[in-house]
Amino acid sequence: MEGVPGISLSNVCKTYRTRGAEIVALEGMNLECPPGSFTALIGPSGCGKSTAMRIALGLEDHDAGEVRIAGQAPATATASGITGVAFQDAALLPWRSVARNVSLPLEVLGRDPQRYSHEIAKLIELVGLKGYENSLPGQLSGGMRQRVSIARSLITSPEVLFMDEPFGALDQIRRRQMNVELQRIWQETRSTALLVTHGIDEAVFLADYVVVMHANPGRVVEVIEVPFPRPRTEDLFSTPAFHELTDRIARVLHGN
Amino acid sequence: MATDRTRWQGFWRSPALRNTLVLLVAWEVIGRLKLVAGGALPPVSDILVRLWADRADYPGHVAATVWSSTLGFVIGNVLAVVAGVLFVLFPRLQRLARGVNIAIFALPAIAIAPILVLTLQGMAPRVVLAALGVYFVTMTATVVGLSQYDSRSADVVRAYGGSDWQVMKFVRLRGAVPDILGGLRIAAPNAVLGAILAEFGGGGRWGLGTYLLGSLGRGEPARLWGIGLMATLIAGLSYAVFALISARVLGSTRSVTLNTALPPGDGDANAPLALRVAWAAAAAALPFVLWWAFIRLTGVPEMIAKTPWGVVDYLFFADASGVARAKLGTALLQTLPITALGMVAGLGFAFLLAISSRMMPGFIRAFMPIALVTQTMPLVALTPLLVLMLGRGISVTLWITISVTFFPAFVLLVQGIQRVPQSVLDLPRAYGASAWKELRMVSIPAALPYLFAATRLTVPRALLGVMIAEWLATGTGLGNLLNQSRGYLDYGMIWTVASVSVLLSVAFYYLVLMVERRTLTRLGMQVVE
Repeated sequence: MEGVPGISLSNVCKTYRTRGAEIVALEGMNLECPPGSFTALIGPSGCGKSTAMRIALGLEDHDAGEVRIAGQAPATATASGITGVAFQDAALLPWRSVARNVSLPLEVLGRDPQRYSHEIAKLIELVGLKGYENSLPGQLSGGMRQRVSIARSLITSPEVLFMDEPFGALDQIRRRQMNVELQRIWQETRSTALLVTHGIDEAVFLADYVVVMHANPGRVVEVIEVPFPRPRTEDLFSTPAFHELTDRIARVLHGN
Repeated sequence: MATDRTRWQGFWRSPALRNTLVLLVAWEVIGRLKLVAGGALPPVSDILVRLWADRADYPGHVAATVWSSTLGFVIGNVLAVVAGVLFVLFPRLQRLARGVNIAIFALPAIAIAPILVLTLQGMAPRVVLAALGVYFVTMTATVVGLSQYDSRSADVVRAYGGSDWQVMKFVRLRGAVPDILGGLRIAAPNAVLGAILAEFGGGGRWGLGTYLLGSLGRGEPARLWGIGLMATLIAGLSYAVFALISARVLGSTRSVTLNTALPPGDGDANAPLALRVAWAAAAAALPFVLWWAFIRLTGVPEMIAKTPWGVVDYLFFADASGVARAKLGTALLQTLPITALGMVAGLGFAFLLAISSRMMPGFIRAFMPIALVTQTMPLVALTPLLVLMLGRGISVTLWITISVTFFPAFVLLVQGIQRVPQSVLDLPRAYGASAWKELRMVSIPAALPYLFAATRLTVPRALLGVMIAEWLATGTGLGNLLNQSRGYLDYGMIWTVASVSVLLSVAFYYLVLMVERRTLTRLGMQVVE
């Protein structure tokens, strides 16, 4: 698989048609994520960043253009279990324990969760929830639920990892903690990661490339490389270089 | 000792328990003093004594009723859940079955009891009527539960290549369990009512309905009350069992966070008009096709079992059709005005009480449990008791209609008003609005959709109540016509009354729905399912 982009969107177009109105969600969107890289997709509400991710996952159709996940069509890639996904909300099934929520993708893919019990336990430990295997989501805090959803996204040992604002519902402090943890977890797995977010801090802290999008119509305006070496620590948030970069991205975001 | 005392105080603080006790004491006193219709309401102690004296009779009757209602409950609910799942997976199928569903919902059970007795053997009529009583409630609850799934969880399953069926299996079915249990809870007393109604119309030796019918002419109020209370107890217990189960399950099913995304809506809304008309026509025709198929399959002779065409023939083309039409017309003129009057009174009273409930929350807390208990009472078992107290005149019909529409409407309205968020209520008050103004601006508009829903939902109950009263007490109207026709073996008239009462019920349902859609669309509100 060396050299094949983890995620590639070329010239993808998507228009929503409602009664009497057409909304161009994506107009000729191009995106290429090198294998093993971490890419953040950032932009204002309605710029189509979530739509782009949903199209890449095969959750929505597109009107034109080509989408490839590790060289395959989205439906083939997701059904073969090489992708992982975490959404804005943890979206856990409230009646399943932590361990059974983590194993859900295996069951959807028709695999026997029993044979993965070692991996499930390891992932739950990796996200810091050892001892909560049998708890129900209702008994966990928001941050803990989000960690379950991260563990779930990794259970298939994905080559390509999709995250749609996974920490959008958390407060600023918890969010930074989770950013540090996500970096650590991702570095262990070395998958191609795509993070949709509207937090500039989060994007710069986590990503190798920050892709800035604009709305009406949704399109990519600039790709910015993030030079900071890894592992990045929480101190990075307060360095001048970090602020310089976030300021630059903010200017691109606001169109000047 | 200290815990005993607090428990005792807790008991007195629970308004529902306290009111029940007060009610029982008042009942005993009124009964002892023979204040109601010269002893038609016996004191509680007499009823219990009589119950003990009759203890040898009860086991057989109770067992028969419980057995047939349980069997009907199981069969009806299995069909209902399967149908609900199919309707959600294939929305076209639901559109096709709409006519059948509405007909089953709207049919006054008493009207088709004689038909089932004519066409089916042994216990089958009781089981079928019990099953029909539960089908619509559970089917609707299943469809609602499966439709209101968490789209985010479904996305997770789909993101791993999950199919529609896998989304159903992992997310929707388990998520619908609380709704289905809620449906079963309401359906359980319906099954008991259905079984008792069929026992009424169907002879046989055992069953509370048979027992009640046999005790009617004896002038023994205490025994009638005993049977009525026993039937209520069975229905109430069946309700309580499912209320308990659903309370247990609910905790682990509520979504932990609020999903703001709405599930996808009706896919065929933009279909060409001709296609939609075709579907509607097919849906309207299906009940009649099933009716015809039912007659053919049971193989009952044509003399006894009438096809849809047989009814039309009986009413318009046969030799005695003029007489039949005249009889039916007279009966309708007696039944319809009283039904309408009772419904208007019941709904109006419920509406007034419900919108003022914000001002006296204590009263509602005490009254709601009583209102809920009356929902589970098997109407048919109570009619003779009301007849004892109110006589055989028109007032008994009116009271029965009012009571069968008032309680469900009241419960629905109060639940609807309680859904108004506190912040919305606080807003007018924050600007110094009076209680009346708050009522006019928030509570009344908020209650309106539920008033419409209550009107739609109580039509069949009102018609059922009137017909039971007519059958058992007043000797007028459709209910009496049905009973008489059984005696005269006038099969054509039995089928005619049954189909006319179902058609009336359906027609009224659609009439209300139409007014409701127009009004609520103009006000920018949603129709309550």
